[in-house]
Order: sequence, then C-alpha cells, then structure tokens
Amino acid sequence: MATDAQETDAITGHVADGLAQLVRHAIPSARDIQFTGLTRSAGGLSRENWSFDATWNDDCGFHMHRLMLMRDASGTLLKTERRREFDVLRALEGSAVVAPAVFWMDPDGQFLGAPSLIMERVSGHCDYMVLNGARPLEERLELAHTFLRLLTDIQAIDWQARGLGSSLGVPAGSPSQIALGEWEAEYRRVQLEAHPELDYVLAWMRRTAPQAHEIVLVHGDFKPGNALIEGTRITAKLDWETAHLGDPLEDLGWITNPVRRREHQIPGHWERAHIVEAYTRLTGRVVDDTALTWWNVFSCWKLAVIQLTAVNEFVSGRYNRVFQTPSWLFRPMLQMMERAA
Amino acid sequence: MRPSVEEQLLGTCRILETVVAPAVAEPFARTILDNLIANLRMVTEALPAVPGFLRWDNAATLSLLQDMRSALPSGLAANIDAALETAENDMLESAAQTARNDLLRALLAEAACNPDLSPDLHRAIQDHMIARASRVPMRYVPSATPSSTRS
Repeated sequence: MATDAQETDAITGHVADGLAQLVRHAIPSARDIQFTGLTRSAGGLSRENWSFDATWNDDCGFHMHRLMLMRDASGTLLKTERRREFDVLRALEGSAVVAPAVFWMDPDGQFLGAPSLIMERVSGHCDYMVLNGARPLEERLELAHTFLRLLTDIQAIDWQARGLGSSLGVPAGSPSQIALGEWEAEYRRVQLEAHPELDYVLAWMRRTAPQAHEIVLVHGDFKPGNALIEGTRITAKLDWETAHLGDPLEDLGWITNPVRRREHQIPGHWERAHIVEAYTRLTGRVVDDTALTWWNVFSCWKLAVIQLTAVNEFVSGRYNRVFQTPSWLFRPMLQMMERAA
Repeated sequence: MRPSVEEQLLGTCRILETVVAPAVAEPFARTILDNLIANLRMVTEALPAVPGFLRWDNAATLSLLQDMRSALPSGLAANIDAALETAENDMLESAAQTARNDLLRALLAEAACNPDLSPDLHRAIQDHMIARASRVPMRYVPSATPSSTRS
C-alpha cells in the first residue's frame, strides 16, 4: 500500500512530467529542462498552486525563472477559463497594474491533466486579513489606499487598445443584467434544492438592475487575499480568472460589501463612505449610492452561488471541503434591499 | 444506547485531532483535515437541533403560504392547497419532515417571486426569511487558514 509520502511524490512526479512536456511544446528547442523545489502550497480554494524554479537551455541561451503553476482543482468553487486569465495577464504587461508575467498555458489540460497556467512567481506575502491584522493603523490605512488605487488603475486600463474587447467580449447590453444572467445560469446548474431566499433576491435584482455609465476592466474578485504584499507595497495582483468587462461599480460593490468588511474595511477609518469618497477623488466618478447597494447585494448573491457550487461539488464527491447553504448571507442581502427601496 | 451518536462524533474528532492530525505533515492535506474536523464538530453540535428546526420551518412556511395564497395564480394556489391537505403522517420521522420541507420551500420559492405581492406580504416574506436564517442549525465553518504565503 502506498504511503502518503509516496503518493505525494507520485503526484509531484506527474506534475513535473507535465510541465516538461508543456515547456517542450511551447519551446521546441528547449533542452536540459530542470525543475527544483516543486511543491504544492495549501492556499487556493479553486486551484492547486505549485511553486518551483525552472531552468533550461534553448536556441536563445540559458534561462532561469521563479515560476508558479496554477492548475484547476478536481473540484472547484469557480468554473473558469484559463485562456481568459492568460489573455488578461498578457494584456496587462507594461501597464500600471502590477501583475505577474505569464509564461505558458495548458488550456484543456493536455499536459498537466487539468487546465493550467504558468506564471512568474512574484515575491511577496499573501494575507487575506492584512487590513485588520497586527500592523499599525497607519500602515493598514496606507495599504487600504494602495489597494483602492490599484482598483482604479485596473479600471483605467485602455482595454480597447490592449485587445481585451475581443478576448473578454464587450457587454452587449447592461453589464448588471449580463452578470445576473451568467450567475443565474451557474445557480441553476449547481442548486440541489429550492432556495426561496436566493430566488427572491434574484427577482429583486432583476427588477432594479442599474445601468452602467462606462465599461471598464473588472477584476471580479478584488480582495487583499488575491494580492502579494511587501511592506506597504503591492507586488502583484493575482487571480484574474473571473476578469471581464463591466460596470465600474462591480468591483467597488465587492469591496464595500458589508459581509466582507473584515477583509476590505478598517472600522472607523476605512468604511464604505471613506472608500466611496476616495474612489470619487481618484476617478472623478460620482457614485450612485442605490446602484452601489445593488452591486453590494449582487456581491453577496454571487458569493452565495459560489458556496452552492462548493456544496454541489462536495456532494458529488469532487471537492474535499465541506460547505453549507449560505444562510448567513440572507439577512444582510434582505436588509440592503430594504435600504435601497 | 452508548456510545451515543454525539459521543461517537466527538470521540472521532478527538482521535482525528490527537492521533491522525499530528502525523499529517503535508500542508495541503493538513488544511483539509483541519477543516473536516472543524466541520464535524459543528455537525455534532447542530444535529440535535435539526428535527426541531424542520418542524418549526414547516409550520412557519405553511402559515406564510396560506397568507400569500389569495395573491397567487390559481395553479400555484392549488398546489399550496394540496400541500395543506396532505396528511402529516409520521411527522416524527426525519425523512418525512425533510421531504415536506423540500416541498414547502419549493412552493415558497415560486410564490415569493410573484410580481403582484403587496408590501405587507413582502414584509412577511422577509421577516420569515430572516427568522429562518437565524435558526438554521448547520453553519458554515470558515477556512482554518485564511492566510498563506505565496512567495
């Protein structure tokens, strides 16, 4: 019988073999390919993250890179496309947005067994709760401003000039209705039982969906946990698999969502009103509070659907963490709906 | 009946924590194990409350549907009538309570989205949903390790 260590070695061996095949496919003249320190990190709910150093020789000479492999987990919270993330990362190269350089993609898992992406391993630390951690308030506030500046840098990307219109698709209609359509389809795909609360909120969102005044690049899961930090500097924004073109208020609604305030806000110093004021100062956009509240509700609803995806995957035997029906999100959604009425 | 279900579940948690977990060195597997143990503890605590919750929810949902009945299309109202008339036989059995809960919640999902509901009915729906959410025994257990180093 294989031990845990033997099984881990076997999996690591398969990943190393797949990586070598992928490099040879991408660079036919590559030889002497070596990977060192190939290890899977504990983080990542939707994907396996593997870090490693790679060296090889090819017709251009010797290469040495610190790399990261992101491979879809067998069961995952988000059904996403590697190509979308690859295209966005390529488009962001040379822009004001800090993001890792992307190397190769295995979109259908031909080499690595599951859709995968290989990108530069940027130095830095990932901390979901950095805004409410042990750092002094001054540092946390500086970081909060830096995160917001990054969000506005993403929104300032000239997506047309960088070719993202063709790769991500320009919304043909209201971004809020399109987002609802996409996430309702996911909801219907994964729901295992009736959820009157989610149907009720969905019906309200359909009736009250706001119009967008601009179309910008939306990250789709903007949070400190998707960034690397050194000191008070963000070294990279990660996890672009849900990026799309949409309403500027979508990412702003995600970070002002009251149920995620411990990740995004600092009590008394960096709350919804402070964030909106700073956002308006940085972008010149006046934020419609009712529309922003709609996006707050949408953020909660989307989060609920992501959790139902996990429930479905767990029940199907494809996901190794237990999630529950997200009842804890129902009350805040209903309260926000009432406030927006 | 000893060990009771609760004793067995708690004992399993203890053994996983004290015997198995220290031997799991691989970080990813350890994270998974820690989450499973935390969830098992939550289930152990929540399990005794499930039958009472289902009884309360079935009664409250049925009462709300009765209040909404006159504002709903005839087909849906007829389905609510049918649910009302269904004999609540052997409602002490957990599976029967669960099946009735599934039926009533499916009716509520349809009824609550009706565009012609009065403000009072909307208020009643929201009050019910908030009350129910506060009573659900099974709770999401957050990830054991929310922070990680990716460098």
